[in-house]
Amino acid sequence: MKWTDFFYPFIFVWIIQIFFVDVLSIGTVRPDFPFILILYLSVKHGRFTGILSGFTFGLLIDLSGSAMFFGLSSLTYTVIGYISGNLKGVYNKISPILFTTSWVLMVFFHFFIFCIVHYQELWAFDNILFWGKWFGTSIYTLSFLILFQFLFPLNKSTNAKS
Amino acid sequence: MYGIYLTIARYKDHFLFVTALILSLFLLLNNQNSNMSVLRSKSAELVSFISSPVTFVKSLMHLEKKSEILRKENLLLTLKVESMLNLKNENNELLQMLDFKEKTTLSMKPARVVNKGLQPNLLSMVINAGTNNNIQKNQPVLTSLGVIGKTVEVGGNASIVQLITDANYRLSVRILPSGATGILRFLRDGFGQIREVQKNVKIKIGDKVVTSGFSDIYPSGLPVGSVSGVLDDRGSFQKVVNIKLPNDITSFQNVFVIVEKKDEMD
Repeated sequence: MKWTDFFYPFIFVWIIQIFFVDVLSIGTVRPDFPFILILYLSVKHGRFTGILSGFTFGLLIDLSGSAMFFGLSSLTYTVIGYISGNLKGVYNKISPILFTTSWVLMVFFHFFIFCIVHYQELWAFDNILFWGKWFGTSIYTLSFLILFQFLFPLNKSTNAKS
Repeated sequence: MYGIYLTIARYKDHFLFVTALILSLFLLLNNQNSNMSVLRSKSAELVSFISSPVTFVKSLMHLEKKSEILRKENLLLTLKVESMLNLKNENNELLQMLDFKEKTTLSMKPARVVNKGLQPNLLSMVINAGTNNNIQKNQPVLTSLGVIGKTVEVGGNASIVQLITDANYRLSVRILPSGATGILRFLRDGFGQIREVQKNVKIKIGDKVVTSGFSDIYPSGLPVGSVSGVLDDRGSFQKVVNIKLPNDITSFQNVFVIVEKKDEMD
């Protein structure tokens, strides 16, 4: 496992996110490509790499944007790195449906943490709007993740040698 | 000692997870810290610098279209100015007669949007103006169509602006001509909602919404939007008013920051 295995994808995704995310946004909802990268890295290399890359990339995202809650990205990506790292090497041991359900649920969980910090007031006063924002943001990134499955299936990553 | 090392090595994933979690929470809970503000403003400047080539290319792409719109607007404004000059003279005479003061004047600084953040929701953006342009924290940001937010962090040459699309954003507004006041918040794409509006006021669709001037940040009379719906619940003591926001948050490139606010109390 070389450092360049992480560095180049990080830089590539960071550039994609910084320059093209506005083109792909629907209203105020945008895709979360760093999340997809963290998920792939964790599933391929395990929890340790997932946590480390999640925390580092989260900090980079918070520093390079206009984050209203500094530290939130590193928190959510760290949690996702930890949880999705458990999927390393398990594709052949568990049912494919369970495997797929796991990473789909992770998308929704990631955005749940994101939304509960960002929209804490909506959570308290306008539940419907809160759930709408959570679902909209989750489903948009999930659709990109599903598209990626045709090019780089997650089940191939999970069985790859790290 | 060796035992501790072995335990950490054995459970390194969990230790790393807890450490990263604590560090993230520490950062999250210290958002208001002054050192954190310095870090964020410096990083905003760096992003502003990195994004500048793309901003330049984007502005070139819109240049021709903008030029055509501006030519049309210029013609319309020239015609309007003529009639307004006459009206101003008439107004001055009337004001002198009534012994009123001159109306509020605002000092503005133009800025360009250089980055709209990397997070999955568009809630804030970076502009290429900061303390070197006399911009400070908590100053209103608007376009020619209306208010779009306020500055929340300011660096030397870049500032972070909290957008009206942030669910945590609030703005005290007044509905004209009724004069009713309320608190605006973002509802969904292109729409906002005013709450805490008195029930007995008459509000029609199309009524103008402006800033009330009750806030320390926003001077009165800045355009915000127009009424698109009124919800009059029988069981409630207040009205809920939906408004259409004039700005397309995803597309504008240039903004103005109000750097000096003078009102009649000054």
